Amino acid sequence: MHLEQRLYETFGYRTFRLGQKEIIEDVLAKNDVLAMLPTGGGKSVCYQLPGYVLSGSVLIVSPLVSLMEDQVQQLKMRGEKRVIALNSFLPDEMKKRALANLQHFRFIYASPEILQSPLWQKALKQIAISLFVVDEAHCISQWGHDFRPDFLKLGAIRRELGNPPCLALTATATKDVRNDIIETLQLTNVRQHLYSVDRPNIAIQVECVDSVDEKLARVLHYAKTLQGPGMIYASSRQWTEVLARKLEAEGIEGVAYYHGGMDSEQRMLVQHQFLCDQLQLVCCTNAFGMGVNKENVRYVVHFHLPSQLEAYVQEIGRAGRDGKNSLAILLYTHGDEDMVQSLIEAELPTEEQVRLFMAYGNDVRSMVEINEVQWRLLHYMVEKERTKARTVEEIIANIQAAIEARKHWKRSKLRQMRSFLFQPFCLREQIVSYFEQRLEKKPAHCCNRCTFSLDSYQFKRQDEPVRAFRGWEEELKRMFWNEEYT
Amino acid sequence: MLSYLLLYCLHRFNGERSLAAVYHLLTGKKSAQTLQDSKWFQLERVFGIYKTLSLGELEQAAMQLLQNQWIVSVDERSYVLTEAGKEALHEWLLSATFFTHLNGLLYDTVDRLFWYRLSLTVQTLSNLVHRHQFIPIHRHEATFAWVRTYLMAKNPHALAQALHDELHTICSSLSEEEATIFTLRLTSFERIGWTNEQIAACLQTDPLYVQLTFQHVLHYMMKRAEREPKQFPILHNVIKDLVKSVSLTLSAQKTYEWLIKGKTIAEIARIRHLKPNTIEDHVVEIAANVRDFSIAPFVAEEARRKIIEAATRLKTRQLKKIRDAVGEEISYFEIRLVLAKAGESSAS
Ligand SMILES: [Zn+2]
Repeated sequence: MHLEQRLYETFGYRTFRLGQKEIIEDVLAKNDVLAMLPTGGGKSVCYQLPGYVLSGSVLIVSPLVSLMEDQVQQLKMRGEKRVIALNSFLPDEMKKRALANLQHFRFIYASPEILQSPLWQKALKQIAISLFVVDEAHCISQWGHDFRPDFLKLGAIRRELGNPPCLALTATATKDVRNDIIETLQLTNVRQHLYSVDRPNIAIQVECVDSVDEKLARVLHYAKTLQGPGMIYASSRQWTEVLARKLEAEGIEGVAYYHGGMDSEQRMLVQHQFLCDQLQLVCCTNAFGMGVNKENVRYVVHFHLPSQLEAYVQEIGRAGRDGKNSLAILLYTHGDEDMVQSLIEAELPTEEQVRLFMAYGNDVRSMVEINEVQWRLLHYMVEKERTKARTVEEIIANIQAAIEARKHWKRSKLRQMRSFLFQPFCLREQIVSYFEQRLEKKPAHCCNRCTFSLDSYQFKRQDEPVRAFRGWEEELKRMFWNEEYT
Repeated sequence: MLSYLLLYCLHRFNGERSLAAVYHLLTGKKSAQTLQDSKWFQLERVFGIYKTLSLGELEQAAMQLLQNQWIVSVDERSYVLTEAGKEALHEWLLSATFFTHLNGLLYDTVDRLFWYRLSLTVQTLSNLVHRHQFIPIHRHEATFAWVRTYLMAKNPHALAQALHDELHTICSSLSEEEATIFTLRLTSFERIGWTNEQIAACLQTDPLYVQLTFQHVLHYMMKRAEREPKQFPILHNVIKDLVKSVSLTLSAQKTYEWLIKGKTIAEIARIRHLKPNTIEDHVVEIAANVRDFSIAPFVAEEARRKIIEAATRLKTRQLKKIRDAVGEEISYFEIRLVLAKAGESSAS
């Protein structure tokens, strides 16, 4: 069967998007493949379609449980029943059934942590894995923008599973990071498919203003004039709340905030409301976005500058997944980098945490406040040093040095991000050259260093009337009652 | 709103517990100490009702109460209410309608599972009836499985009608505001459920008030569903396998099983490779939670009487004060055990 025909029958698309077919052909030929596709470029088709051609199961490793669940949900919506997500929240009953029938599943999603479990390893070893997929593969590299130490062990796990062909996928990996991926996963004769990170339908604007108040005024202006739905990224939880309240107070409807400190159900409600266009605007931290598969986001505003260009490219990439014209606007005011700098440093373990961890191990969590990122890094560094250094003092000194090196590296990443704002060159060209690529063609609406200006980019906000709430009795009746069937 | 909730807890604790204890109580820490505290001081209803609370927020609320001169410090991070504080609390309690059915300890985590099932059932039926595709509002495998099994081979239209009627009956027995909050939290074919914040904005009230009122409605609904299977067959089905009789920490549960088999504290400590102190903690936790657990094998009747008498006379639950009053021949373990049991019986 032709691949196109298979694509149409399974996914309902007539044609492949850029790069998909070439990647799939290499995967089906059982080559190791490293693929870099632009954000929203249809990465999942690259392993889901082979899942219907190859015999055996496709194992997909993904960094975030929520990301995994989204993918599983989408597959199920398409009628695929033979899919499962392995994570530590799986109820016992299902776990038992899954362990017994693992070969039954066409797609097995797993977190790297669960792959450490001997129980699951044993079960996976006994079935035929036709393809080993690593999603968001930049998480492998210590120098990737979202380093997950657990990803480092994937090379060994792949070997354990009898070295099935591997497909590593990412949207944002510089050359160094790509080399790290190849080395860690031990890819041999790797076929690299590197497509441009550029998203031509997203116009890019950077604005430097005099004060925070002016930034707020700009945000308000955009919320009033731009066609939604939109997203506003801020660096801290507190700022997302401040922004949402401010916009609401100014009469903007359909605004909510989203951050990692919220109750999980409330967070889900906001995400679903946004997906269903019940909300026009979400003020969020970078906790929002991964796995949110919303096609019609028309603009992304950055109220603070991201800590590095990779993160920026990921975040603006949530706009315009439907291919229609969209906007990315970054607002900067003097001193923003200091705030970002202190947030970055708060993600590194402190000397006190290192000392306490060496003395008390995991109990340290009930002694001092320690966030998730600090915890991951601390674990990774101590584990790594313990195999080399001899005395505790030596380990502590080495870790201190490693933390300093990381701080240094993060600072230089932030400097690059900042210089992106101030270089007098085309913003799009700067992004592309950061990933050692070249821009083939500039779109008509490029960036505010080129010919593009917001005025020529006509947007008009049309607010749809919000359905009024007519009391609980009426609401309950509407829920369960369909007049067509009575 | 948070400051009133804090005021309420501080009033019950009466200076005998610190701010940290309030924090553990409201966030529902499953430690023997916190579980006992909630019983001794009759604070079961607020156990675990504010799980996302941060210590910082609580400290800020305490600062505000100090500034209002509604509380004064008696010890490091322990406070008692001033006359003005007591008056403010009294005033507030008159409006705190959500305390009527709120029972955080009894329904801890079960209310969440109940709500997951109920709201996913509502969402599914509403979409089936209106022939809509939808994305499940919760991501909870056990809930998916339950809803799938429950809806299997049932007529969605008839079930939707019946569930509508059950919810209508419940809502009709609530205030207009309570029924509105509950309904707005539901997700249907045309509307994703509103967040507490959105409901609060609509009703011009506090999000925490909405959250607590919502929980109070859930607890009320669960109680009725549990007791009236004929009146609420669907809701009864949602809840029947969720309610468990006792809530013990896992480790205490194991100790309890050994106790039932007739082992002594020392034996259990040996078997489980734990310190006798730890096993004693478990016994206290069991006494506080298991109604028909007798403490007679651990405390002589004479000692029990003395402890109760001292606690009543001194109006205290502080171990040190009671120990000073009853004398050294009675151990702290015995005092804790008696207080735990006393708290259990006065609470039920
Ligand atoms: Zn340009």
